[in-house]
Amino acid sequence: MHNKKQENSPSLICGMDVGSTTCKYVLTNENGEVISKFYDRHNTKQAEKVLEFLTRLEKEFGFTPYRDKIFFTGTGSGIIAPKVGGKIIQEVVAVAGAVEKMHPNVRFVSEIGGEDMKTIFFSGEGETKNKQVLMQAACSGGTGTFVEKTAKKLQISSEALGQMNYEGYTLHKISSKCGIFAEADSNTLLKAGVPVEEIIASLFEAVVYQNLASLTGGNTPFPQILLLGGPNLYFKGLQQAWRVHLMKIWKERNVALPEGIPVEDLILVPAEAVYYGAMGCIEIGKNETSTSGAYVGSSTLKWWIEEGQHEEKKKTGKQGLWETAEELQSFMKEYSPENNELTEEEKSEGNSCSFVKEFEIINTELVEKNGCASINEKGELTGLEIDSVQLPYVTGKPSVDKLSRVIIGCDFGSTTAKAVCISPETREIVFSCYALSKGNPIEDARALFREVKEALKGGEIVGVGVTGYGKDLLKNIIGADCAVVETIAHATAGFHFFPDADCICDVGGVDVKIMILKNGTVSDFRLNSQCSSGNGAFLQGVAERFGIPLETMADEAFKAKSMPILSMGCGVFLQSDIVNQQRKGWQGQEILASLCSILPLNVWVYAGGLNNLQSAGRKFILQGGTHKNLAVVKAQVDFIKAKVPDAEIVVHPYSGEAGAIGAAFVAADWYQEQTGKTEFKGFEIIEKLTYKTSTSTDTVCKWCTVNCQRTFIDVELPGSKGRQWSKVPAPEGWERVIVNNSCPKGLIEDAGEVKEVKTEIERIKNEYPNIADTVREEAFGRVTV
Amino acid sequence: MNIQTLLTPFARKRSAESLSKDRSKIRVGIPKVLNIWNTHQFWIGFLTGIGIKHTNIIFSSNTSEEQAREFGKGRGTVDCCYPVKAMSGHYGELIFGQKNKINVLLSPLIYSLPSVLNGHVMASNTCTRVMAGAESIKSGFMKEKNVFEENGIKYASPYLTLDDRIIIPQQMFDGLKDIFDLSLEETKSAVELGFKALDAFNTKLQKQGREILEQCAKNNKPCVLVLARPYHMDNGIGHEIETDLQAHGYPILWMQYFPTDPDLMNWLFEEDINSGRIKSPFDISDVWPSSYSSNTNEILWAAKIAAKCPWITCVIRLSSYECGMDQPTFTPTQKIVENSGTLFFKFGDLDSTKPTGSVRIRVETIVHYVKKNSGSIIENKLKRIKTKWPLE
Repeated sequence: MHNKKQENSPSLICGMDVGSTTCKYVLTNENGEVISKFYDRHNTKQAEKVLEFLTRLEKEFGFTPYRDKIFFTGTGSGIIAPKVGGKIIQEVVAVAGAVEKMHPNVRFVSEIGGEDMKTIFFSGEGETKNKQVLMQAACSGGTGTFVEKTAKKLQISSEALGQMNYEGYTLHKISSKCGIFAEADSNTLLKAGVPVEEIIASLFEAVVYQNLASLTGGNTPFPQILLLGGPNLYFKGLQQAWRVHLMKIWKERNVALPEGIPVEDLILVPAEAVYYGAMGCIEIGKNETSTSGAYVGSSTLKWWIEEGQHEEKKKTGKQGLWETAEELQSFMKEYSPENNELTEEEKSEGNSCSFVKEFEIINTELVEKNGCASINEKGELTGLEIDSVQLPYVTGKPSVDKLSRVIIGCDFGSTTAKAVCISPETREIVFSCYALSKGNPIEDARALFREVKEALKGGEIVGVGVTGYGKDLLKNIIGADCAVVETIAHATAGFHFFPDADCICDVGGVDVKIMILKNGTVSDFRLNSQCSSGNGAFLQGVAERFGIPLETMADEAFKAKSMPILSMGCGVFLQSDIVNQQRKGWQGQEILASLCSILPLNVWVYAGGLNNLQSAGRKFILQGGTHKNLAVVKAQVDFIKAKVPDAEIVVHPYSGEAGAIGAAFVAADWYQEQTGKTEFKGFEIIEKLTYKTSTSTDTVCKWCTVNCQRTFIDVELPGSKGRQWSKVPAPEGWERVIVNNSCPKGLIEDAGEVKEVKTEIERIKNEYPNIADTVREEAFGRVTV
Repeated sequence: MNIQTLLTPFARKRSAESLSKDRSKIRVGIPKVLNIWNTHQFWIGFLTGIGIKHTNIIFSSNTSEEQAREFGKGRGTVDCCYPVKAMSGHYGELIFGQKNKINVLLSPLIYSLPSVLNGHVMASNTCTRVMAGAESIKSGFMKEKNVFEENGIKYASPYLTLDDRIIIPQQMFDGLKDIFDLSLEETKSAVELGFKALDAFNTKLQKQGREILEQCAKNNKPCVLVLARPYHMDNGIGHEIETDLQAHGYPILWMQYFPTDPDLMNWLFEEDINSGRIKSPFDISDVWPSSYSSNTNEILWAAKIAAKCPWITCVIRLSSYECGMDQPTFTPTQKIVENSGTLFFKFGDLDSTKPTGSVRIRVETIVHYVKKNSGSIIENKLKRIKTKWPLE
């Protein structure tokens, strides 16, 4: 390649900024004057957009190979720049270069991009001018995507979003840390009737808060301030939020503001805010050596777009979820659920539960059904015996003698309610049924017990255990003998089937739970609450987007012979990573395979915070809806075995019923230890439970600004204290269940109840002292000696 | 230190006049953080000893997210230790959040601590990160301009080796003489008052601890022991996890105030001493030979106590996010406690947010086991000690 720099001819310089959502360029002539600039969304086709720009620049502005120069910046420049001879300028260097040239008085720059954010602090003057740069691009909190993604869900167009305001609206608390949780928070707010304007204003607040909280590193943003990047430029509300926050900081910190300048002028949002990266490229590029950044034309880039990138796909990808057919087969032999678990179909058939069918249609987000119950596409895999676990499991038409005396275990989950009956002596599971939750535990209980009654045909009930949401109240209402906390229920069931279990990993649709078992107890419990990474809902969402039904998801994933490498971590960025991989030519099934393969990493490391899997033990139980997907199970097995070579991994045979089974076993323990009679109220009483629901302004939750519209369900229950102090009084003999709250706080009615509860807690506390209370109360008070 | 000592004779002579110094108007703010949580009364005793009114000694409130948001935002330093990071909120609250402004912000650099184990261990040093915390947080308020000066606040940060009481008057004098216009004499007597107050408080709490144990012994009932650093008593650092257990009807002991009466100590450790395994009840060389860190030493010692003491049927271990000091102690403490059949539960990686959902479930889980197993745990542990409980 000859690099003939033609002397005396005009030399143009192009700055090209390839960002995560848009491409921008600026072209200057030999006098440094801007002769063209443009920006456009690339819809993840970065290279194509750059090629389009270059073609136009060549045609319309005489941008000439081997004469003119091109400098790149932005996250997407890595692959593209070398193909056209461009030199890459680090993003922050580029932006800072442009700012220093154009705004010598600026002290603080915030640049928010689609998937990243950075701040630059300038201090000192002239020779001693210093800059400190902080940036993050690992998490969506605080970036443009954070706002846009939620706005999209709220069906707000980009144009409308740009014009929405921040000032003057009531702000609500929205998770500023994670985009997916922000979306969930927004949903909750929306459901609670909060106007979209307030939600958007709260999002702007969250973005500014996140930038100030994580990207200031102990510095004060002094005026002048420069706000750059698309979101800062196009979202009016975001600018307002910055203004409010910065003014507050300045006031708090007594920052002397230059006199005579309106505050608006201290916070600059230049019309060219999106071009600073590109302009910085030119600034820096000007001082580069004459050979640096010499444009070589676009033919290589063109070839790469048409052919090269597809070849590269093969090189960058990795082996699919399995290596050899034998390996896959032996995995299937061990883990196929065919032989020890009923399909959903059989279950509902067996119980002919009309209630279930009715609600199946409504509740499309049903967690328990998330995944593939059967992989049985290849005929040869059926009929294989599973030798590890063979358990009796009777539904539908159980033998009458086994049902003559039973212990019932119920699990009232947020999406489904399940019940199992076990034989008190042998602990054999003799019946099971489930109902989709109506959001009213009383109705759920009724539906369940109707099923049980039908099956028992007059059989005796000698004990009842309940677990799950509202277990304590339901214990009183149905007359259960034990209210079992869910960890104990799962551990008890786990230990029963696998006495040497060390760890239970439960991956549901919306949460990840990890229970570490030691010495027969649950020694640690991790509940993912900070980040959406690793849950099943995400997998489901992607499958839906590719039009792959849940039932065949694992099959599809297993078809992939190779797969792209996706990044671990933030679900929001995973989504864009997926689009990116798709563009490289990866197919839906390959991407699904890859998603399954990184799921364990997200579950254990990102969500569970367990870096050292060895510390969890060696025998792992996988359960929860997501583990019905065998592709996920395969990935889990490979992942765990890579970390713990002698690990034994089993899928819980009754994954969905584990809670109910555990509750039944705990009740069976109770039955064997005590001589007492069961408190069970009987089917008749449960069927006839009198309850009334109230939903009014008085039932609105006031604990936070979300103001959930709760429902109070008052159940007649002789002996209950009632709630005479309440705004919605419940007379003596009535027990209250609170539903439709979105967080545990809402289970407490109001300050009045807190008073009631506190008095009780105080009483207990006085009886059972805590040394730290004395420290907290007295150590910082007056000296008494 | 030596240079300072040498310089002292050249300092202004002022002992006579300063006895009458009026310090009743001076308001002193102390960030209620880190090892202030186990030296609290020393500071109050000392300050009142030099004539500061006790109503003019202001401790910041407990750590909270609101405090950090309102007063600490953007002042943070890059520090992975949450209890240290949280300090900027405390500083900010004392500087900006007081109706009556403070005149002095007192934030000591505590190099070593008083400890019941002193003399039996290699040293009683604090975590270096914790000691230097005051310095790094201060810099967040000095970086651009001196916020203390701007608000008329004198920043005081005496360097102290609190395990060596003899040298403290000099160290306090060196660090505070210009702040309060002190004489060495009055510093000496105020330091004495400080230690007196601290000792009295500790004794009182140890007595309370003993009463709890006596009640447990009398009624054959269990109690819970917390293994944690002193600042985990701060609601915003330890998130009151132990109070959730207390609300289920279990008295809570903290290792910092475990009674050390000789009869009790001998009862628990007699056999180990007789067998030559350890030299005294406070000897931890059998489990922790590199005993240099005060809080760490005490955690190991308390684990040994938990393994022996029959009525402690459950140990709760609290640890802040990625605490480097705690890391090497996790396995030994857990093994020591669990080998005795005592229940052990760790709440690790605590930071600003209380994971309410999982804590509630874990507490209920723990309560299940404590309820179920305490009877047999007490019985088994009592069997292992041949002599009779001293105070029955």
